[in-house]
Amino acid sequence: MTSVTETATPASRQILAKRTPTWMRALPFLVAIASPVILDKISWNPFGGWKLLVGFLVLVGIGWFAWSNAEHDPDDPRLSLKLWHRADQRALAAVTCFVLMAIPFILSTDWEPPMDFPWNSWFRIVNYIILFALGAGAFNLLVGYTGQLSMAHAAFLMIGTMVGAQVGLIWEQSFWLCLPVAALAGAVLGVFFGIPALRLRGLYLMLATIGVHFIILLVWKEYIVHQFGFSGMRFTTPNLPSWLHWIPGINPEDGEFLINSQFRWFWVNLGITTVGLLFIVNVVRSREGRAFAAVRDRDISATLLGINVPRSKLVSFALSSALVSVSGCMLSYYNRARSEDSFHLELVLDYGIIIVVGGFMGIQGAIFGSIFFFALPMYFEWMREELPIISDIDFFSRYAGEIDLAIRGILVVVVLVWRPDGLAGLWQAMKKRALLRMQAPRRGVVQ
Amino acid sequence: MDILASTFFDWGVNLQLLVSGLALGAIYAVVALGFVLVEKSTAVLNLAVGEFLMLGSYFGVAFFMERKTNIFIGTLVITLVMALFGLAIHYGIMRPMVGQGFFAIVLATIGIATVIRAVVQMWFGPLEKGNLTALPTGTIEVAGTSIRWVDIIILLVVLGSVGAFLVFYARTRTGLHMRAVASNIEAAAGVGIDPDRAYAITWAMAIGIAGLGGVMLGHFTPSVNPALAAIGLRAFPAAAIGGFTSVGGSIIGGLIVGVIEQLAGGHFGTKWREPVAFGILILVLIFKPTGLFGQKDLERV
Amino acid sequence: MTNETVLQVNDLTVQFGGVVACDNLSLEVHQGELFALIGPNGAGKTTLVNAVTGIYEPKPGASVKFRGRNGEMTDLLAYRPHQIARMGVARTFQNLGVFDAQTVLDNMMLGRFMHEKTNIFHYGLFSSVAVKKELAARRVCQSIVELLDLQDVRDELVSELPYGVQKRVELGRVLAMEPHLLMLDEPMAGMNAEEKQEMVRYVYRIMDEFKTSVFMIEHDMGIIMAIAERIMVLEFGREIATGVAEDIQNNPAVIDAYLGAEH
Ligand SMILES: Nc1ncnc2c1ncn2[C@@H]1O[C@H](COP(=O)(O)OP(=O)(O)O)[C@@H](O)[C@H]1O
Ligand SMILES: [Mg+2]
Repeated sequence: MTSVTETATPASRQILAKRTPTWMRALPFLVAIASPVILDKISWNPFGGWKLLVGFLVLVGIGWFAWSNAEHDPDDPRLSLKLWHRADQRALAAVTCFVLMAIPFILSTDWEPPMDFPWNSWFRIVNYIILFALGAGAFNLLVGYTGQLSMAHAAFLMIGTMVGAQVGLIWEQSFWLCLPVAALAGAVLGVFFGIPALRLRGLYLMLATIGVHFIILLVWKEYIVHQFGFSGMRFTTPNLPSWLHWIPGINPEDGEFLINSQFRWFWVNLGITTVGLLFIVNVVRSREGRAFAAVRDRDISATLLGINVPRSKLVSFALSSALVSVSGCMLSYYNRARSEDSFHLELVLDYGIIIVVGGFMGIQGAIFGSIFFFALPMYFEWMREELPIISDIDFFSRYAGEIDLAIRGILVVVVLVWRPDGLAGLWQAMKKRALLRMQAPRRGVVQ
Repeated sequence: MDILASTFFDWGVNLQLLVSGLALGAIYAVVALGFVLVEKSTAVLNLAVGEFLMLGSYFGVAFFMERKTNIFIGTLVITLVMALFGLAIHYGIMRPMVGQGFFAIVLATIGIATVIRAVVQMWFGPLEKGNLTALPTGTIEVAGTSIRWVDIIILLVVLGSVGAFLVFYARTRTGLHMRAVASNIEAAAGVGIDPDRAYAITWAMAIGIAGLGGVMLGHFTPSVNPALAAIGLRAFPAAAIGGFTSVGGSIIGGLIVGVIEQLAGGHFGTKWREPVAFGILILVLIFKPTGLFGQKDLERV
Repeated sequence: MTNETVLQVNDLTVQFGGVVACDNLSLEVHQGELFALIGPNGAGKTTLVNAVTGIYEPKPGASVKFRGRNGEMTDLLAYRPHQIARMGVARTFQNLGVFDAQTVLDNMMLGRFMHEKTNIFHYGLFSSVAVKKELAARRVCQSIVELLDLQDVRDELVSELPYGVQKRVELGRVLAMEPHLLMLDEPMAGMNAEEKQEMVRYVYRIMDEFKTSVFMIEHDMGIIMAIAERIMVLEFGREIATGVAEDIQNNPAVIDAYLGAEH
């Protein structure tokens, strides 16, 4: 289409972004380079030795990357391809990063918060939230974006676990090898079990995939009984490979660095979940993702745009299953033990609740949903134990589990009835309102 | 699975399994009818049917075990109370959710299911109760094997009440309205039928029938416990094999699946029950994507 | 204008149970022309387009030949719909085939689907290859957005736009496909005279700029007579007449059919 003349950007769009002053952009580098000196001055050196240098070189590298990728021209169309391209989005992303970095340090202190807030068990919850967010995001890719109502989610968690057990426990290979193998197995089996989706839709696909669940469940039970007996699987503690020991903050004991604490698991989980979710986000916002949505909304229209609908469905199945299976493997290693009935069909419904309550149409939803799902019961438990009036009522402590269940059910219904776009929708609406309020007076001055 | 050494060719065992399979199938048929009725007219998949059955069984515990109520009065009251629940669900949850996606509404029914499970456990405690014994117990000798009276009665009661429902659905004015709304809501509204009312009645009937099924289920199983709710999922193949849009088909599907499950479970061990049922379901769906009796939606471009 | 054939349909019959929606139809569309298909409701016009684009299967014995950009004739009946689309046949839908839940720009980007092919890992990691492809697609879409005056609504959800604008979005989407043959199913239905004028202008610009042949189904006789080079009239699945505008206007069978249909 070369004959179309390229018109200049209209004047109305030229005031999009102001360029950040150079000194302000250079500030992070200066701080990074100066920080060894600063840290030395306040005599706090968390990593020690030459690793400090490596760490800050890495930091400088990241800074350089950010620098070279920063937009130099507000009209550059590449700007709109960036994930976080508005100032508020960037600010929020930065804050999120900061909070995520801070969480493990805060949670691993010995600090006793007031009113016996269950600090230590929160660490476990945070790790679960992160791992479930990966699984939920992958589930949402299939169910939310591609519209394929699959209930074979727990089946792929089982597949990931079986791969992890086979590769890691029976063949005694490294945990880090389990993950790619689990992804590969998940992708291949995802394509295979996605075949019903080529012919079935909606309800019927849901039923067929429940069938898939029960078939894999049978395999799982046979596998676990034959290979591990009735006591179930016990996973080993992963070990960071020695060629990664240069990373700052890593202090190997006896030449080994075991991922054996909540603190260490946090970083592993966070890293893999971030990579997985970013992959999904990127797929969703580009060519393939648009095709997924097209297949979901109108498959005949999609076909006539040149989209191979069966292929798109299978790609979605493969990608989603691969990530789910990775998350299954991670969950099992994190959990340490798995038994014959670790994976119910209810687990799929739990993931369903996570994505629908969190918000059907976004990765944010998976994150909000996981937080809702795990943090709320913890919070209730704390209220029951610590809040003066509530802790006095015998009924609440006697039926703790049931009350949690009931409240969760009620909240699910309430959220669905009151806010169909879930917690993520609520969050976005709030953000929009706040942004409008912040911009309003300034706009008044300009006009 | 050594077929020759198993009970595979023992016809007495097979007859026993067949009858109990029919009774189980009758209960599946009730659950499947609950699915189909609601799905057909309101396009909602009610995943809480299993929980409602369980609730019905627990009501049975409350009435027949703890209070020794007369079986007829008790069953009637349970059915009516459950029908009221159906109305409450329609007006409280489903009507405000009109227009939302299929999966969201399915999950709302899962929310309901969660609440029911929690409330039942708070009310009756987590321990399982014995089975209900308000129906005649004992067995009858047929062809050298003993068959439980309960199985036969369940089969008859369910078939009778489902038959009565079918007559209601086919013959009465309200039934006509329900069918009209199910097949084309705009056209039905155009001739002056109130879809909302038809939906409400559909919900009331579906849940009411589930209550009746729950009482029967309480007699069928060895014990009444919260895990009974799983019957909702197990009845899925029944509804789907019959075709999700066919009321009659769901009953035939229920009986087929019940018998197959009992035979598979009896001969090969209970862990084969779900895989076999769902395996058959997948086979059926491969050859007939909308079930044996379901109709294909016309798609216009 | 050359007289080379772009689309040649022979003996096409489509049946739904007892209804013969298209009865032994044959037609030819030439390179660079605007060919119009008219006929009363239910005449089988949409069915014809569906058969050509591979959605409905005609009875055996039919042939649908298409000459692509490379000048080779292929029989479309041997291909699946997405393959036909990739050969350069694009179409719009009578009752709108836009994706409501996506923005105008995303709808157009979907039109670029078959032109920005890369491995999914490039997109997942958003590598420089993916960035390049996305940018190229965006550039094309941006120019179409400007061509169709959609700049103001570029980032809005399609479902929030008025019907006429949605039609334009759909047109933009098929344009993004860079089609060789464009099949428009009642592109002006439900529009007022002014909007119709505008649509005609857009269609002309497309034909000018992209050298696309257009096959258009339309009800508005006035407009058809004014813009179409050749016209085919259908009734009850059968062809009544084919020819240039004056011949059609004076054809007694056509007058009969239209008077009969309107009274
Ligand atoms: N998918 C289908 N199934 C059954 N009949 C159809 C189908 N599509 C079209 N028809 C019938 O084919 C005939 C022609 O329809 P159509 O091509 O849509 O007419 P129009 O000329 O108005 O576009 C009509 O009688 C219609 O009912
Ligand atoms: Mg038409």
